[in-house]
Amino acid sequence: MFYLLLKKELFIELRSKELILSMIVFGIAIVLSFSFSSDLSRVVVQNYASGMFWITVLFVATLGVHRSFAYEKEFDAFSMLVTAPIDRGLIFLAKWISGFIYLTIMEILIIFPFFNFLMIDFPLNISVAVITTLFSNLAVMAVANLVSGIAMRSNLSEILLPILFFPLVSPVIIAATQISKGVMLNEPYAFWEIWVLFLGSTIIISGLAGYALFDYLVEE
Amino acid sequence: MLFVKNISKSFNRKKVLIDISFSQKEGESIVFMGKNGTGKSTLFRIIARLMSYDSGSIIFKENDLNKAKTLDRNKLFYLGHAPGMYHALSAIENLNFALNLRSIYIDQREIISALDDYGLSKEINEPIGVFSAGMLQRLKIVCARLIKWDMILIDEPFSSLDNDGVNMVQKEILSWKKKNKTIAMVLHDKNHAEQFCDRILNIESGIIKEI
Amino acid sequence: MTDFFQKKTNFIFLLSVIILSLINIINIIYNTPMIPDQHWAQKIFYVHVPSAWVGFLSYLVVMIFGIMYLNSNDDKWDNVGLAAAEIGTFFMALVLITGPIWATPIWGQPWIWEPRLVTTLILFLIYIGYFMMRAFGGYLERMKRNAAVLGIVSFINVPIIFLSVQFWSPEIQSHPQVEMAQQPSEILSPFLFSLFVFTMLYFLMIRYRIYVIQLNNKIKQNV
Repeated sequence: MFYLLLKKELFIELRSKELILSMIVFGIAIVLSFSFSSDLSRVVVQNYASGMFWITVLFVATLGVHRSFAYEKEFDAFSMLVTAPIDRGLIFLAKWISGFIYLTIMEILIIFPFFNFLMIDFPLNISVAVITTLFSNLAVMAVANLVSGIAMRSNLSEILLPILFFPLVSPVIIAATQISKGVMLNEPYAFWEIWVLFLGSTIIISGLAGYALFDYLVEE
Repeated sequence: MLFVKNISKSFNRKKVLIDISFSQKEGESIVFMGKNGTGKSTLFRIIARLMSYDSGSIIFKENDLNKAKTLDRNKLFYLGHAPGMYHALSAIENLNFALNLRSIYIDQREIISALDDYGLSKEINEPIGVFSAGMLQRLKIVCARLIKWDMILIDEPFSSLDNDGVNMVQKEILSWKKKNKTIAMVLHDKNHAEQFCDRILNIESGIIKEI
Repeated sequence: MTDFFQKKTNFIFLLSVIILSLINIINIIYNTPMIPDQHWAQKIFYVHVPSAWVGFLSYLVVMIFGIMYLNSNDDKWDNVGLAAAEIGTFFMALVLITGPIWATPIWGQPWIWEPRLVTTLILFLIYIGYFMMRAFGGYLERMKRNAAVLGIVSFINVPIIFLSVQFWSPEIQSHPQVEMAQQPSEILSPFLFSLFVFTMLYFLMIRYRIYVIQLNNKIKQNV
């Protein structure tokens, strides 16, 4: 049933392309804003690059996850899922994994503008950078989908979502930024190992909380 | 088949449903009537577990729906006011998804035939976002035809339908009755109600009364 | 207010808290030692740390009663959760005000990224969102459920938030007086007394707030 739900999420996005396109354009717009607003030397920007990247991801994730839940409200489509004889926690899991996929696609497409506009050097160890970024994406989307589930049925969901999401995701952003910084500066794994553990804890806690509590959130 | 006991529901402390209790036997058809805003749709959404309630219990096939495992809700099907489908998906994709959610996998020809019976065969591959209200209503009834349910909750099955649509839906409901299916409907037309139901229950001021 | 305190137990409780608080203030001003580097600024510690303790205790209460509300759907648990959220946020605001007041003479600037302060700030922001959700989030009964979930999610993240900030800037000095067990008795005893008084104050405030919320609900239901 999880695969059915995930397939539905991906299929709808493939059909409409609303989410990914808007996430990509928004991501590039943020990178552009960073380029215009940071009158810093290249060396300094290199040091701040990981922070700038994850702030971009944060804003884009907020947009994406809000839209992911908003289209469920159109035509009351969500009632089809909620009234179906399925484990409602699976809805959360499907949203989480599909969001992770969209976020990853967005990052793949903005990574070149990001590094080129800000004139940053690519990390030497690309494979480690990719794996750690994927892990961080998973953590970001776990928290994002959990918070979006909480804010989903409220009248001011587009305002409540960032207000609730940004504080709650702070440990993830700290960890992701530290890991990315370590990878960019080619630091040994032992230097940023602790942050990987933090991300792992967040993924487990947010994932379990979302799965367990989603049943209470989906009912009107 | 269904036992609803002392269901109460408030919105912003205003009681919409007050100790609603009724039961429905297998094969029985009940129509719920009442003025707008009396809580008929709310009651259906509560039974379908789409909406929470303040107190009471709902027993469907000897299972308390609040504590029931997901499979225990398998034979209860709900059709609300809104389409309850994805506007970006086509009719056939929505139907397949709804069926697959209930682990029902049927031949595509059967689905196309059902859509054809309701005059929707030309638009099977169009996203339903372009459908009119009447077409969406027909699509919902097609969905009800294909899904294997024992009890259905339909909220205003005739809304937005033209005469042809009304006739089709009437035939469909009568065929369900012949198959001894359990039907609960919200209707506003008493003529329709008397045509289909074994009992009429009226909800007024949050209280239920048999007419 | 008068109805609540007309009950004997509540009145005695109020009187006790007032007397204890006065003793606490006098104790802090006159009985606690003057730390050489920090002088009077250090006295804020006897308010700042107990406020943080009470704030976190309150948010723990929000989580516990959130779980109870989700299990039973009983409004009285939601009333306790709401009261705890309000009072907890009040004390957290106190922490965020007294923290910089203490920090400025000690560290030369009002804010540093000390893990406890940052955790407090993050929780404070989350609870501002909590109150916004309650106010604007739709019909009351649904928002009670969402608030319970948010209360649970917020508190289970506290250890992660705290540890992440601690590891983020280990070079940042923690509170000047953190290792309580190593403190001399002339600091430890007044601190523990202040902690006790603040906890009593908290229980008084939450009892009263629950009473007001229940009264408010009764009035709104009868309207």
